[in-house]
Amino acid sequence: MSTGLECISVSKHFGAVKAVNDVSFQVPPGALHTVIGPNGAGKTTLFNCITSELKPTSGEVRFAGHVISGCRPHELPAFGIARSFQRTSIFSNLTVAQNVWVSAFRAFAGTRVEVLRPADAHPEVTETIYQTLEEVGLARYADAPATELAHGDQRLLDFAIALAPKPKLLLLDEPTAGLSRSDTQRVMHLIEGLKSRYTIVLIEHKMDVVMKISDRITVMYFGEVLAEGTPEEIRANPRVREAYLGRRA
Amino acid sequence: MQKLFSLPSLIVIVLLIVALPFVQRPVVAAEVLTLGIAAVATNLLLGYTGMLSFGQALFFGVGAYCAGILTTKFGFSAFLAIPAAMLFSAVAAFLIGLVCVRRSGLYFIMITFAFNQMVFFIAYSWTTMTGGEDGLPGVRRPSIIDDQWSFYIFTVLVFVSALCVMKLFVNSPTGRILQAIRDNPDRAAATGHDVGRYKLIAFVMAGMFTGLAGAIFAFVFGIVPIDKIDWRFSGDIVFMTLLGGSGSFIGPVIGAAFYTWLQETVSQYWDRWPMILGIVFALVVLFFRTGIAGMAELVAGKLTHRRGAAKAKQMEAGS
Repeated sequence: MSTGLECISVSKHFGAVKAVNDVSFQVPPGALHTVIGPNGAGKTTLFNCITSELKPTSGEVRFAGHVISGCRPHELPAFGIARSFQRTSIFSNLTVAQNVWVSAFRAFAGTRVEVLRPADAHPEVTETIYQTLEEVGLARYADAPATELAHGDQRLLDFAIALAPKPKLLLLDEPTAGLSRSDTQRVMHLIEGLKSRYTIVLIEHKMDVVMKISDRITVMYFGEVLAEGTPEEIRANPRVREAYLGRRA
Repeated sequence: MQKLFSLPSLIVIVLLIVALPFVQRPVVAAEVLTLGIAAVATNLLLGYTGMLSFGQALFFGVGAYCAGILTTKFGFSAFLAIPAAMLFSAVAAFLIGLVCVRRSGLYFIMITFAFNQMVFFIAYSWTTMTGGEDGLPGVRRPSIIDDQWSFYIFTVLVFVSALCVMKLFVNSPTGRILQAIRDNPDRAAATGHDVGRYKLIAFVMAGMFTGLAGAIFAFVFGIVPIDKIDWRFSGDIVFMTLLGGSGSFIGPVIGAAFYTWLQETVSQYWDRWPMILGIVFALVVLFFRTGIAGMAELVAGKLTHRRGAAKAKQMEAGS
């Protein structure tokens, strides 16, 4: 039995629109799997099926042998799954450290509701927070309000929230969307550093960004899998060139 | 307590408690503190969780009627009736909350409003218990807190304990998660927090302490007037909260004090005092979103910043 992520003929139809149609792939533990495709290829719909925002019309998603499609979004972290958002998604009125606290505390305390101690009374949680901030390079801003961070730093904070619970599987939805060139490089550098410690599924729009770091790539086109393979195979695939690269060149 | 509250908040609380009964009659001072509890409780929803409840009068009224009925009809002592009323409000908030927290935004507001209307009409029609339109009179204070000063001290004790408990609550992990939900419910869910469950917890806390406020209120003037369960009073509580400042823990108390001052003082000279309320409210919403507390913070921030800047300049000149 595989312990990684498995998408087994996942389909999501909205009425007559087949946004995702019969998509299957497997991600072994520790691998970085990228899903690419032009706009409207169904990447985000597929991502939402994996993160349980949407329930697939048919097929299922499994992680470590558990069926996770059909769970509610807040149940996924219990399986060791964390996600980032396409548009930076942070807690704007909290400080940087408090932002990370939200996920770190959940990993520490589970679903237990705690009201008797102050929020910052757990040294284990505080330690996790600072470790994580150190890793993404935001430790010096720990006590700053999250809104005061620069745009690229906010994206890194978004990552930190996902990383703090030490997940097994990291789902990243277009982590470089809307970032400047230098911020894109910072984020990709960070992802490269995370590789092999986590199983990562990356949804991307920009092909050049992912060629270097992906182990395998699934190319989606109009809701279906156009090709799957290593970056070299994808680069050499004539259908991909035609559908994707050709059009952009 | 010093650790629980910041120094400025502590000063505001102590000043209010000491000065109020000399500025107003002690019963009115007690009323302010009661409304203060309700406003701070409402702010657990509005300011901390981002839920605008237009049904807080429901819980204020339920607490007040519960305490009033238990003492007048069943001969309970106030010291037993008040905790019972608080418990009853919490149970009511739990049941109503189960329905309300499933919706957010405008729908949440409308559902809380609808429940408020429903319970209002129960109070209005069940005259044998509630006295209907005339209110429920004859709610007697126990003899040891019967005179106005000892009753005021009793109210102060309840006020301070309620504030401490609520402050501990917002400082706790649960309070922090509520603030995360306020800022970004989707992300809070994605990090593994059951948003609905936490909203329900906030709703029950707010309902319970608003009910406590109502229960104390029943003993302030010895009557439970029907207008304290009316939806318009829900609006008043929201007004107090926003006016005082929903971004601050203690702000709503200031709002409650201002509201009562308007009602007590201005109403003596001008029957249409709610008009002033309306104008002030419009001004706050348009220009001072953070309320009185937010304004005070801003001014204090500017002052200390200026002092800090002056000091830096001095040091620069010195070196």
